[in-house]
Amino acid sequence: MTTPTHMVELRDVYMQFEEKKVLDGFSLKVEPEERLVIMGQTGSGKSTILRLILGTLRPTSGSVFFKQFEITRLQRRKLQQVRRHIGMVYQYSSLLSSRTVRDNVALPLEELTDKSRDEIDKIVDEKLDLVGMKDSKDLLPEELSGGMKKRVALARALVLEPELILLDEPSAGLDPVIASVIDELIISLSEKSKVTSITVTHEMDSAFRIATRMGMLYQGKIIEEAEPEKFKQSKNPVVAQFLSGSTEGPILEGSLDAITKK
Amino acid sequence: MANANPPVLVAQGIGHLGRNFLREVGSMFWFIVNTFEETFERIQHGRVPFRAASFFRHTQRAGVDSVPLVGLVSFFLGLTMALLTGYQLQRFGTQRLIPGLVAIGFTRELGPLITGIMLAARIGAAFTAELGTMQVSEEVEAIEAMGIGPLRFLVAPRMLALFLLMPCLSTVSNIAAIGASSLICKAYFSIAFPYFLDLVKDSLLIRDIITGILKSFLFGLLIAAIACYRGLTVKGGAAGVGTSTTSSVVTAITTVIGFDTLYNVVYTTFYPT
Ligand SMILES: Nc1ncnc2c1ncn2[C@@H]1O[C@H](COP(=O)(O)OP(=O)(O)OP(=O)(O)O)[C@@H](O)[C@H]1O
Ligand SMILES: [Mg+2]
Repeated sequence: MTTPTHMVELRDVYMQFEEKKVLDGFSLKVEPEERLVIMGQTGSGKSTILRLILGTLRPTSGSVFFKQFEITRLQRRKLQQVRRHIGMVYQYSSLLSSRTVRDNVALPLEELTDKSRDEIDKIVDEKLDLVGMKDSKDLLPEELSGGMKKRVALARALVLEPELILLDEPSAGLDPVIASVIDELIISLSEKSKVTSITVTHEMDSAFRIATRMGMLYQGKIIEEAEPEKFKQSKNPVVAQFLSGSTEGPILEGSLDAITKK
Repeated sequence: MANANPPVLVAQGIGHLGRNFLREVGSMFWFIVNTFEETFERIQHGRVPFRAASFFRHTQRAGVDSVPLVGLVSFFLGLTMALLTGYQLQRFGTQRLIPGLVAIGFTRELGPLITGIMLAARIGAAFTAELGTMQVSEEVEAIEAMGIGPLRFLVAPRMLALFLLMPCLSTVSNIAAIGASSLICKAYFSIAFPYFLDLVKDSLLIRDIITGILKSFLFGLLIAAIACYRGLTVKGGAAGVGTSTTSSVVTAITTVIGFDTLYNVVYTTFYPT
């Protein structure tokens, strides 16, 4: 067996939900300290990719690696240990609704480390401060706005000092100023703490600000993969259409005809 | 398939139901096994499997808060049972059998059974709805993604709480029912309290009490396991949570009654008197 030295590698992954084929021979490599941004249409399978990396979904076929671990073959116990090195920010935050912000962020520390309450409080404060949510410590998730939840989820993902962080649309629903703060945070994490990140986003500004490399997911495969500058000039019609947001091009070809006919 | 005759179709239907039933029983069994495994693995590593606070929150909710309901229902049942049997026994002049009848009936059989049914409805439903909502809103997945075992973290404290509290609640039920029958005995059949107690003591065997307690432990475990299993396997959003909650209560009550019967059959085979 070849042991890849990449941070993350997906090798020839097929993913099918009942009838629906989502990933179709998908391959991807992510190097340490890289900030990869994945773009793609809604419903193209971006969140699915992040779930495959975490191992909360199993691919129909193909293999997924995190460092030297083959996620798709790990036993539950080992998988749990590996996941502690990965932080995930879910698209809809997925905070535990019956716990306060403080308890949500403290949860991984309480459950997975032997730190004392004081130490935990200190780390929680520090992480909440990073995302600008220190004042909302005692609120319940239902008392927060969508953007605030996102930031708490980010603090929760950072609390165990992960090596890899997966962000599912981290700046969706944030105002431009806070969005920039989050972008800066992601950049400084990789520069200062050597955290690798994979970000899924639709926000072009944010994507180009964060990315050291970008990938375009289309019809179950990465069809274009390049540094931001090259990516911007891509000749690929799908990428060009996606970046310009135009209705002319290969994306939506069929359905657009249906709309214009009406 | 299309030209299959009715008997074949019926047999096929029964086969389907049977297969689904066995599959459910199998997954439920593995669910319990996995929960134990995750919990003990954690203990092996020298760590508490879950926080005491989380455990006590469930004992409070499932146990202490259920005392009024269990007590009241058992009290009324005790009254009814003493009254109904009393009038029959009076015709033969054997009303002094009432205390023993109620005491044995409840400690061995009705106490655990009634408590089980009430807890399945009261707590089983709550567990399923709570875990189901967490499942639907991706909270369970987020817990898993952090590297925390959801079975150990969510299911184990609930199971243990119900396991330990069920016998206590059965005891509450027994005491309430026996107390109620003593009132009836005094008011209608002129059996005074001291005499009542003597009669109860004479008729009640340690074996009956132990049987009742063992059954209660078993019911507690089953109810919690079924409720949590149904909760964590919810599919289909809010409607799914509703369906699963109903199905959790129905399954738990049926299982409790089924196991009660099974227990009695086994018991009477081994201890025929
Ligand atoms: N649990 C599931 N069961 C069935 N189908 C699913 C499931 N999860 C995702 N899908 C399907 O897989 C496809 C990809 O879903 P995914 O959530 O990965 O999309 P996405 O790229 O993240 O979209 P968005 O940008 O809207 O978040 C969708 O078409 C969806 O219908
Ligand atoms: Mg998504």
